[in-house]
Amino acid sequence: MEATIEINGLRKRYGGTVAVDGLSFTVRPGQVTGFVGPNGAGKSTTIRLLLGLDRPDEGTALVGGKRYQDLRTPLCQVGALLDASALHPGRSARDHLLWQAHSNGIPGRRVDEVLELVGLAAVAKRAAGGFSLGMRQRLGIAGALLGDPPVLIFDEPVNGLDPEGVIWIRNLLRRLGEQGRAVLVSSHLMGELEGSADHLVVIGRGRLIADTSVRELLAKASDGRVTLRTGQVREAITVLNQAGATVAATDHDEVTVTGLPVAKIVPLLTDAGVSFSGVAERRPTLEEAYLELTHGSVEFQATPAGQGAASW
Amino acid sequence: MVTMTPYRSTVESSRDGFPQLLLSEWTKLRSVPRWGLTMLAAAAATILVGMLLAAGAGAQSAGGDGSTAGISPQFRDAGSYVHRPLTGDGSLVARVATQERNDPWAKAGLMMRVSAQPGSPYAALMITPGHGVRLQSNFVTDLPGSDSGAPRWLKLTRTGDSVTGYESADGSNWSKVGTVQLEGMGPTVETGVFVASPDALKLLRQFGGEDISETTNLGKASFDNVKVEPARPQQLAPWKSNGNTQVDPNATTFSLVGAGDIGFYQFATDKTKTILSGAMIGIMALVALGVLFITTEYQQGLIWTTFTASPRRGRVLAARAIVLGGAAFVVGLVASFAVFLIAAPMINQGKAAPASLSDPQVLRGVVGTAALMAVVAVFSLAVAAIVRRSTAAITTVLLLLLVPLVASTALPLTVAKWLEAVTPAAGFAIQQTIMRYDTAIGPWSGFAVLCAYTAVALGVAIWRVQRQEA
Repeated sequence: MEATIEINGLRKRYGGTVAVDGLSFTVRPGQVTGFVGPNGAGKSTTIRLLLGLDRPDEGTALVGGKRYQDLRTPLCQVGALLDASALHPGRSARDHLLWQAHSNGIPGRRVDEVLELVGLAAVAKRAAGGFSLGMRQRLGIAGALLGDPPVLIFDEPVNGLDPEGVIWIRNLLRRLGEQGRAVLVSSHLMGELEGSADHLVVIGRGRLIADTSVRELLAKASDGRVTLRTGQVREAITVLNQAGATVAATDHDEVTVTGLPVAKIVPLLTDAGVSFSGVAERRPTLEEAYLELTHGSVEFQATPAGQGAASW
Repeated sequence: MVTMTPYRSTVESSRDGFPQLLLSEWTKLRSVPRWGLTMLAAAAATILVGMLLAAGAGAQSAGGDGSTAGISPQFRDAGSYVHRPLTGDGSLVARVATQERNDPWAKAGLMMRVSAQPGSPYAALMITPGHGVRLQSNFVTDLPGSDSGAPRWLKLTRTGDSVTGYESADGSNWSKVGTVQLEGMGPTVETGVFVASPDALKLLRQFGGEDISETTNLGKASFDNVKVEPARPQQLAPWKSNGNTQVDPNATTFSLVGAGDIGFYQFATDKTKTILSGAMIGIMALVALGVLFITTEYQQGLIWTTFTASPRRGRVLAARAIVLGGAAFVVGLVASFAVFLIAAPMINQGKAAPASLSDPQVLRGVVGTAALMAVVAVFSLAVAAIVRRSTAAITTVLLLLLVPLVASTALPLTVAKWLEAVTPAAGFAIQQTIMRYDTAIGPWSGFAVLCAYTAVALGVAIWRVQRQEA
């Protein structure tokens, strides 16, 4: 099976609400693709359509060229983490994975392997109802990995994980991508994808906003801005303004300079006798690049207050 | 972008066949400890309630009832019978001169039977105050003759294994009533005159139960011109009575008084059904289990994990129904055999033949109880898949299943019978081993009604599940 996800002209409405509105993108093997957008942007709906849980009104969502519901032993071709709380509280972690394994004819020893892999081997016999959200996330990820599939889909996998868990999943995602799998990770928090995603698909209100590699996005966003630390903010602004740069004070001892490279800023300030304690080309965080990208996008302006917008 | 060889799954020899799906659903069922306890509770309730009911019914019948010793409580074989043997073919003639009209079904007439032993095959030609001339045989066959009452001439003729009845106003112009076949007739049969009369029966149906009380109602009749006419000349043995009555060995006229009936009895206690009635309580636990087996998955969102692992949803539901039905059947089988073996000695107190597993009807009732529990569990599962809510599903199933049974004694008999025949409650008929006045439907037909409901519910459930979205 070609390990790709192809979304083509996908459209889905529930009652009067359009959840996904003509969405098209491709997830390629060998990299981690972040699937980003505010809550309610249509990420979960897209994933549900992809997994054949809901039916699209228009368009197709294919895995390796096939509709999900036409896959035999789907767990060996696509692993998915949908909702970490989806388990029976009285059932042990091992049994929770065992029934899934049985349904696809996956041998029981594979269950122990994935429990080991996600670090739940010690609590395998315990009822999953007593698990923390972080442990449930790990159990859900174990379920996705059961069939050792070439395509992996994680819906908000970082939710509820402690810092250690966040680092763990970041490394796991990267490793899965490096193994040649197609990995799709959705998140409403861009920062969560920092350091793991190679590619980004950004959607808002069911539409595609950007489909770009992370490297390109960061390069575009950095824009040659320079951060300058100085005790003489006023003087520094005057000097640099005269040289044609745009300068904004960001703190009592910090300014951001746009339009002049570091190589020119340093002699200018030295000549003018302005002392400074630091000057550095700013590397934007992924989140900042993302904000810049989505700034002014109609889809994002209309996000209900308190939901997506507030969380950035 | 880096080009890579696409990743291949290292998990080998995977299959998603139906056996794998069954194993998966069985793993689900067995791995929730509370569900195991629920099944245990179903068995325990079936056994305990059955024991209580059997003990109660046994204590009642130990005091003595109208049943005939050694034969099924479904039949009565009493009354007064004066008989002598007849070897080979031949006839028995008599005139019923008078009959007391104490009951529409009081009986006076002629009888040939394989032996004088109660329960032996018989053919009886009789007059009745309310139903004219009848030819009856073996407790169940009943052929009507004319509407005449006493005085009336009657004649029974044996030819091989068949016995034919005739009636006449004057003893010379005979009209045929009918012919019946008797199994197991040897060369010699008993022939004679008899009087019988059903007990006066008082039936009180009220919410929660029924109360049947019987008082003896003596039948009286006189016969003259009583004559046995063998086809082959033979020395006839003297008349004998089945009671302690002294009879003239050469008499041709008799005056008989008889207590008790001969024939089908519609008010007998169904011992097997009583023992197995605990299943009605035990089944509630299985209803809850069947419902929870599916609604918990909806509540937790786990159903989407299930449908991700097995996108062919109809097959999932079918596999789950088979696993649940199988488990419920085993639980039911253990419970119904256990309660029968424990409770049968408690209830087998009266004179009538004991309920025994060697009786095919009883065996059907016991095994059928397990089948009933299995099908009800599957029905609950199907209803739950349709309505997706625990409370709504449990309420719906219990209403359909138990209300007709619980409310039946509070309703007019025709309404009660109708309800018990057309609702899923009809399935409980599989437990009955006795035909009664309030029997609503035959055992297999009743079970078929339940199965039909279940099949339809399962069909709708599969249809709905395949269309479900978040």
